[in-house]
Amino acid sequence: MKISDRVQKLREQSLNAVETMSAERALLMTQFYKSDEVRELSAPVKRAKAFEFLLKNKKICINEGELIVGERGPAPKATPTYPEISLHSPEDLEILNSREKVFFRVDEDAKMIYEKEIIPYWMGKSNRDRLMSRMTPEWLNAYESGVFTEFQEQRAPGHTVLGYKMFRTGFLDLKNEIAEAASKLDYFSDPQAVEKHEELKAMEIACDAIIMYANRHADELERIASKTKNDKRREELLKMSQVCRKVPANAPETVHEMLQHYWFIHLGVITELNPWDSFNPGRLDQHLFPVYKKEMDAGTLNMDELWDLLGCFWVKFNNHPAPPKMGVTANESSTYTDFCLINLGGVKPDGTDAVNEMSYILLDVIKEMRILQPSSMVQISKENPDSFIHKALDIIRTGFGQPSCFNTEAIIAELLRQGKSLEDARSGGASGCVETGAFGTEAYWLTGYFNLPKILELTLNNGFDTRTGKQVGPETGNAADYSNFEELLKVYRVQVNYFADIKIKGNNIIERLFANWLPVPFLSLLVEDCIANGKDYNCGGARYNTSYIQGVGLGSITDILTSIRYNIYDRRRFGWKELTDALKADYIGFEKIRHDLIYETPKYGNDDDYADQQAVTAFEIYYDSVNGRPNTRGGVHRINMLPTTSHVYFGSVTGATADGRNSGVPLSEGISPFQGADNNGPTSVIKSASKIDHLRTGGTLLNQKFSPSFFEDEESYHNLTALIRSYFSLDGHHIQFNVVNADTLKDAQKYPEHYRDLIVRVAGYSDYFNDLGEDLQNEIIRRTEHEDL
Amino acid sequence: MKGIIFSVKRYSIHDGPGIRVTFYMKGCPLSCIWCHNPEGISPLPEKAVRTNRVGGKSFSREEEVGRFYTIKEIINILDRERVFIDQSGGGVTFSGGEPLLQPDFLIEVLKACKANGYHTAVDTAGYSSSDNYRTIIPFTDLFLFDLKHLDDARHMEVTGVSNVLILENFRLLLENANEIMIRIPVIPGINDDKDHLERMVKFIADSKTTALKKVNLLPYHKTGSSKYKRFNRINKMEGTEPPSKEQMRLLKEKFGETGVKTKIGG
Repeated sequence: MKISDRVQKLREQSLNAVETMSAERALLMTQFYKSDEVRELSAPVKRAKAFEFLLKNKKICINEGELIVGERGPAPKATPTYPEISLHSPEDLEILNSREKVFFRVDEDAKMIYEKEIIPYWMGKSNRDRLMSRMTPEWLNAYESGVFTEFQEQRAPGHTVLGYKMFRTGFLDLKNEIAEAASKLDYFSDPQAVEKHEELKAMEIACDAIIMYANRHADELERIASKTKNDKRREELLKMSQVCRKVPANAPETVHEMLQHYWFIHLGVITELNPWDSFNPGRLDQHLFPVYKKEMDAGTLNMDELWDLLGCFWVKFNNHPAPPKMGVTANESSTYTDFCLINLGGVKPDGTDAVNEMSYILLDVIKEMRILQPSSMVQISKENPDSFIHKALDIIRTGFGQPSCFNTEAIIAELLRQGKSLEDARSGGASGCVETGAFGTEAYWLTGYFNLPKILELTLNNGFDTRTGKQVGPETGNAADYSNFEELLKVYRVQVNYFADIKIKGNNIIERLFANWLPVPFLSLLVEDCIANGKDYNCGGARYNTSYIQGVGLGSITDILTSIRYNIYDRRRFGWKELTDALKADYIGFEKIRHDLIYETPKYGNDDDYADQQAVTAFEIYYDSVNGRPNTRGGVHRINMLPTTSHVYFGSVTGATADGRNSGVPLSEGISPFQGADNNGPTSVIKSASKIDHLRTGGTLLNQKFSPSFFEDEESYHNLTALIRSYFSLDGHHIQFNVVNADTLKDAQKYPEHYRDLIVRVAGYSDYFNDLGEDLQNEIIRRTEHEDL
Repeated sequence: MKGIIFSVKRYSIHDGPGIRVTFYMKGCPLSCIWCHNPEGISPLPEKAVRTNRVGGKSFSREEEVGRFYTIKEIINILDRERVFIDQSGGGVTFSGGEPLLQPDFLIEVLKACKANGYHTAVDTAGYSSSDNYRTIIPFTDLFLFDLKHLDDARHMEVTGVSNVLILENFRLLLENANEIMIRIPVIPGINDDKDHLERMVKFIADSKTTALKKVNLLPYHKTGSSKYKRFNRINKMEGTEPPSKEQMRLLKEKFGETGVKTKIGG
């Protein structure tokens, strides 16, 4: 199938739309918060009324030719801000407007509104102000030093995905559930009954608000229809208006209704606050298949219509860049992508093969649409046929980084280990980059990246950070004090534990800030069992509540530890003094040492047990420091291993390292080997990567670079399929392929204008090559060249 | 017992079915002028210079090319790759050089591989005693058999040996081996003239047996040229360009007419 002219036009419009900052939401939010009524409201009801106020007053945008309606801002890519989360200063707006990458144009009107209305009201009142003022000096030092980042600094926790239930439920049904939960409140023995009542009241307001919002679209569609001369379009507009009157108030019964239903939900979530990973329809092939089948059998839908609907739906995601980020948050996630990751394949709740016709149709849509958002992945189970993988490889080979490949059995095992029911585990998947979650039932918050190599640098330096000039970690001694490798590991563990403690304490404070000040009654409607519990999503209302800290630089920390063990202790090639002198000098004048570290020292990624043993050690030390530590929502902290773009930021704050890496150079990403360290081919990378225990994480990221020559013919598909299945039989969680050659990338760097649609796999997600910083571009070129050889 | 090997390749996907490990055995009785593994010709370990640049400075070191492996070492390497081999229906390939130049080691290592359940392939130029082939046939699931030139005089000229024994062994394998794939290097100016190619097509058409599974046309490529520098050898093919894609496509068509499955590349 090819996309129609209609969808092609919308796609072009989306690609050509310029990212702008819209002050609409900030202004409405300010007006609302200033009103007299607000002072008297409980937090959840206040937030619900704010949500209602936004949806009642924001501009309705309907684009020409589209079939699925609704924009978060007044126009495609007009991106709102969230001053209650973090307030942009005039200088911030200037940076957003003028920075080279991931910019948002800010016009004079918006600047004026900010200066006159937004900044005066919100100064000192945003959640960011509240959060930073509550962090300890130890936390602030570690943050400044680049030991960890903080996800909730400029965005709200989201990190969740819609489950089966909400694709079969309308908001009128939810209102009944709310009434039932309210009627069951026990004011005699439940001391929280009053709070629960407020929360349920807030949820009810949110239900009415989203229905009202859909009706506003219906009104506008009817108004436009009445002025439309083209009979066909008028009919379409009237039909769309009917759909908006039906959903999301009622459960959807057609493909059109289901897509529109989801889209209103999506808009609701990303308007209420700016949660990480936007929001996500999750197992879209599973949700759509029954209605698709029913309609096809009844003859009420044909393939052209289906493709039009899906194409229009796809464009919607691309119209919505991630909200503007600044500073460290911009560095750790430098992209317009908002990480909506559509899941295809996997297994059904009963454990049988879930691949269906819709899985293949959606893969075709992904291939033909070829846009940045939504992102996509295939869940590959032992139950799934090879033809499904081959179809995915067909798209992967075109080099735009989608879909990525996930191991369904690993996801299920990870979820079961965390105490989820088998059905909930099978209905789960991965979202964001690679994060495992139970869809529709779990709040699995990512809280920040954790710089493992930086902590080793501090360990070797008595806890002192030479870059910031501060004592960041405890004084545990200097490198030369350790007489053997085990002793060094012991001290490294002390430092890792120290920073994990600081981070977890910070997390628990921040969680309570969101619970108390920024409940999300709308999002709470969508995730079970918030209604039944009468508790907000941000306050532990979900069935499962997990907090993640994301470990970064496994390949680097492994190579650094291996180098120390090999060169200092085992081979005694040189002493600590020589090494620390070389590191201090960033290897200038120590080229021979650096040569030996790079070329004559075992490296992670080559199935070399000597090196890989340090990967396991570093993993276990990190795991022990975090896993199982309670959060404030009735759940625990866990680890996953993914970087987004933080490995570049973390590299920039980490000096020269004992693996021969120069100061400031990006660290390894995910659990992939350091760029260029693997020279034994993909099977060895996979063997190394599978030595850590993926099943005790909530996701790991392995990036495998391939030149297009690996995708030549049927036999190469067969072998790649076997490669993927082998990794998954070793319990690997995820693998993604970068298929591109270095010359293309170099040319793109030279002539960005010719490569506006060049998408590459970065780490856990794809991005436009043009939108990457030059250092990240260079890194990707380097690793591609390595592959070309 | 040990065998000398100059390279081990994992995720080898062009030397037989599935994902394989290919062991390149050192020593070859031929000296084809286009040879892209010149380090495989001598049966002894050799020194080569490797240069790496670090921070603007060059560091050269001598490294030994060719190392003796025990059969146990070979099996250990395979066992580490077992998951990929099993999943893909792959196996092990002994290439070279010429693996049959180390016949005693080859038969023992093939036996060991079979005993451990691995699919075995032998990539041979065909120039070894027929008895050697008879011995390994029961332990070899697949032969990759190189055919370079059908004219004996020309064969002698470009490879240094006669093709009489090679063609004899080829017929022996056609009749007795489990499976054979023919590999024809397409070398510009050496064997790609129209007359010779037509002769080759006819030869293959006449060789059809149940054992003959495929013809692989391997276009000349230049990756060997940097090796000549490293090993301080004269590259007689200097300046030769690889055959064009179109030329290869036409060749594939022509060979395909024999009814034997034909593929460009391994």
